[in-house]
Amino acid sequence: MNAAGLDIGSLTTKLVILDGDSTTASVVIPSGEEAEATAREALAQAKGTEFKDSLYFVSTGIGGKTVSFAQQQKSITTCLARGISRLFPSARMLIDIGAESITIVKLNERGRVSDWLGHDKCAAGTGIFLQQMAKLMQMPLEEMAKISLNAKSSAEISSTCAVFAESEVISHVHRDPPTPREDIVAGIYSSLVSRVMALAKRVGIEKDVAVSGGVGLNIGLVAMLEKELGFKVLVPEQPQLVAALGAAVIAGENLGR
Amino acid sequence: MTISKPDINLSLPTLEKFREINRIFPHTEHILAQKRDGKKVFGWLCTYVPEEILHAAGILPVRITGYSNEVELDDGNAYLYINNCSFSRSCLQMGLRKDYEFLDGVVGGSTCDGARRLFDLWRHYIGTPFYHVLTVPRKYTEKAHALYLNEVIQFKEHLEEYLGFKISDESLLPSIELYNESRDLLWQLYELRKSGSPPVSGTETMEISNASYRMPKEIFNQWLKSLLNEIKDSPRPHIGRARLMLVGSVLTNTEFIKAIEDQGGLVVTDELCTSTRYWGDRVKLEDNEPPVKALARRYLNNYPCARMFPSDERFNRIIDAALKFKVDGIISQTIRYCVPYAHDLPLLTRRLKEHDIPILSLDVEYSTPGSGQIQTRVQAFLEMLEAKKK
Amino acid sequence: MKATGKNNLESILRACRLILRMSQGTADMSPSRNLYYNMLIKYFSRLLHAKENEDFIAAHTVFFPAELIYAMGLVPMHTETTTWMTALFTGECSDILAAGASLGMASEICTPHRGLAGAFAIGALPRPNVMLWSNMVCDNTAKSGELVMELCDCPGFFIDRPFKDSNYEVNYLVSELQDLVRFLEDKSGKKMDWDKLSETVARMDRQIELVRQVNELRKNVPTPFRAQGFTELLTIDYLFPGQPEAIEYLETLLAELSETVKKGEGAVARERFRIMSLFIPPMYLMAFLEKMSQEYGAVSVIEPFFTFWGEGRLDPAHPLESVAKKSYMIPEMRMYRPLDQPALDAIVDCAKQYKIDGAIFYADVGCRHSCATIKLFKDALNRIDIPMLTLDCDVVDPTITSEEEFREKLERFFELLEDR
Repeated sequence: MNAAGLDIGSLTTKLVILDGDSTTASVVIPSGEEAEATAREALAQAKGTEFKDSLYFVSTGIGGKTVSFAQQQKSITTCLARGISRLFPSARMLIDIGAESITIVKLNERGRVSDWLGHDKCAAGTGIFLQQMAKLMQMPLEEMAKISLNAKSSAEISSTCAVFAESEVISHVHRDPPTPREDIVAGIYSSLVSRVMALAKRVGIEKDVAVSGGVGLNIGLVAMLEKELGFKVLVPEQPQLVAALGAAVIAGENLGR
Repeated sequence: MTISKPDINLSLPTLEKFREINRIFPHTEHILAQKRDGKKVFGWLCTYVPEEILHAAGILPVRITGYSNEVELDDGNAYLYINNCSFSRSCLQMGLRKDYEFLDGVVGGSTCDGARRLFDLWRHYIGTPFYHVLTVPRKYTEKAHALYLNEVIQFKEHLEEYLGFKISDESLLPSIELYNESRDLLWQLYELRKSGSPPVSGTETMEISNASYRMPKEIFNQWLKSLLNEIKDSPRPHIGRARLMLVGSVLTNTEFIKAIEDQGGLVVTDELCTSTRYWGDRVKLEDNEPPVKALARRYLNNYPCARMFPSDERFNRIIDAALKFKVDGIISQTIRYCVPYAHDLPLLTRRLKEHDIPILSLDVEYSTPGSGQIQTRVQAFLEMLEAKKK
Repeated sequence: MKATGKNNLESILRACRLILRMSQGTADMSPSRNLYYNMLIKYFSRLLHAKENEDFIAAHTVFFPAELIYAMGLVPMHTETTTWMTALFTGECSDILAAGASLGMASEICTPHRGLAGAFAIGALPRPNVMLWSNMVCDNTAKSGELVMELCDCPGFFIDRPFKDSNYEVNYLVSELQDLVRFLEDKSGKKMDWDKLSETVARMDRQIELVRQVNELRKNVPTPFRAQGFTELLTIDYLFPGQPEAIEYLETLLAELSETVKKGEGAVARERFRIMSLFIPPMYLMAFLEKMSQEYGAVSVIEPFFTFWGEGRLDPAHPLESVAKKSYMIPEMRMYRPLDQPALDAIVDCAKQYKIDGAIFYADVGCRHSCATIKLFKDALNRIDIPMLTLDCDVVDPTITSEEEFREKLERFFELLEDR
């Protein structure tokens, strides 16, 4: 029997299958309306449903509780901690910027959660927020990420409210003369980083710091975060898979490995 | 309606000096000199700390305030939490980031929840060498006065023990006289604003008020005397669409007042922790009475903070000033999560209505420059006041 | 349906009677709980019929020494409790909160106090004969009286409780209490029965001792007192200080808990986590928290700011001095003084004594003074390796947080504790 982790998020569903310590399969697909159906789809893409019975599943994420074939369900924070600890044993703090929430997890050397803090009350500073901004700026997210590195200065954009931030971006775009696009993007990222820093300080910053969630692939944002922190952060190759990996690691532990 | 703006050729040199103090605080020459001379600088919070005692001990007292503009308060939020007023968070953050490292002591009063928690956290996480909190009663009764006098004496004794010398009655008298002089001079300045076309704006006056708690009173008094002469020699009539009074707790950012005055709202007087509440009342020495007693009496009876009971004492002072300065309307700036002042608003509004004085109530964050929504609301308020005058 | 003074008290009474009727004979309705609900019924019935009985209603804020009101034969009305119980039992508080807002009260003013002003404004609480309040324990309490006096057109008295506990300050408080007695005698036309007050103080001393004994039993592993039972202890103290019913309840409770301990049983089927609760959980989530406790085996074994009384005994021979002294012993009032190192050490010591696995801090959005201690207590507890969960909530307003949010956060926290 192999260990498998399923992270069913609001935007995407992630699956990781382990054979011992190595990952034999990983899948990221958009989340459908039903967690169960999406989970099966992810499995189909990975290995085929005929292997379902020889896998021990631990599920997590928003849809984690409704997967009938998962043997165990764990909270996202537990899985994030385990996952990042497997990838970077020196990590003591993880900043997860997901689609709808920012979560900061503090972990010990055994990959156990010692504290966490989340912000999920509003969109400010999340993946969805960035998607909205990209639409407003009329450029793909990847381009946004790149050009922010060229910004000479950063436009002032409110960080406490996504609604206000949106109207501020609009006014920057329509200004005469218009604020340079790279500056606006820098401003958007800066407001997100502010939100992250506010949470991080509440929970207490401890090195080494790692980043997870789809937003971890955003080089501009990561650069800005490192600037605020004053040191480099650890970013996994596939930052969206951290929780699923952690769930798989827990599955492995349950199987006695 | 025309708005008369001050002729920039008629700028006041001493006003520029006051502005500079506020701009570079706390890296002012006076603080640096005091430290260089091996003397002490103490920070105080709230208008219930008897400064004259610190002064008589050779200490330079400066008021603890927060950042002069609106900044991210991550550290403040982490310790004081988001639901304490941004003033207390701003002060704490400055303390945590070592902006107040030069302080040899801090003294506060048990005035409000925000202040007392600020002081609790200051004690644990910043650890200034000398630390004292006075119990401040909430009443004005004889017994309350006796209690507060006892507190002032306890404070004085604690200070004497720490410094290793006594602060005699004789040494207190010149300090009291000096501080009274400041108060008198500031009232002279304010008297000028009673005129139909005051020679100084609210924005400018706030610079002076701000500087008053950041520098040695000896030098402040000198400068203010010069300034009063400069004003006398230069006509600078300010006329606005309406005469306003600004009330509330702490306000230090003059940009906020400027935002109001740029729209034609002339601020002719105020009731703020950083202005009249601070220097409003003199110390009155009665015959054969120890100076500490006169000090304690003055500080407890002083221009009321909203924490005091009965609230009508504060309301009456506001109405009194509004009438004396012929104010058309009042703007109240309440910092979010400032509980005592927020609680006062319903009753204050009723009292003002009895005197037919309109009030605009603004919810602000500490050090807001007063942009956007605030300007819109001020404009609407001014239009309403103009219409009322017709 | 518009809220009126009668309707709201009637709702509370209806709910209490219903709970009693439905739980008759079930394991849930122990003798002490039975007493508890009967006490509530008695309290609110008395208020409901006060006017027709020509009783004198003395409205008072939290921690106000209601012993004095009882000793004078007047009818006490605990404003915050009556307000939140109204919300709890009618399931809604939006009307009184809206009324508070329309009075011009800012949304940052905490809901119990915004609510009580709103409640008086729309007649959801009976009009009192006097309004009594103090600065215990925060600015919100200190500023709530004057508006109520105006809304109800009644006289009032404010007790100024000093910040520190020097002899001088305690004496000041005693003189405040003397003034209060004179005020009440003047307004009610009744005289203070000093013998009755001494008896009340003697009972208050016993009451505190009994709570201490209950707390001693709670140190037991497994703990015998049900997970959210502390709210009963709190309400008993708020509504019945020094009253015979309170003694009866506590003695009954103590007997029940002793029995449970003797049998080697606990409050929950399998005790997994011993929790220290800091400040007040949302009242409208009580049943849910009870359920979570049972489900996860997580029990609140001690609440430093509700149930953990400070040191000291009360002396009936000196009733007013004792009432003053009590104000320094009240669990939450220990927060209204300089928070020095001994205060932090006391929390840490409490955590050790009760063998705590984790702490939960209920961060009420309207409560400034308590939230400012979150980091302080978290750091102190973390130093002895006890994790603390912070739950943003509001004690009365259900729109601030939901059951789902609470469930998710509690689950994560319990997993964290499990994993250790």
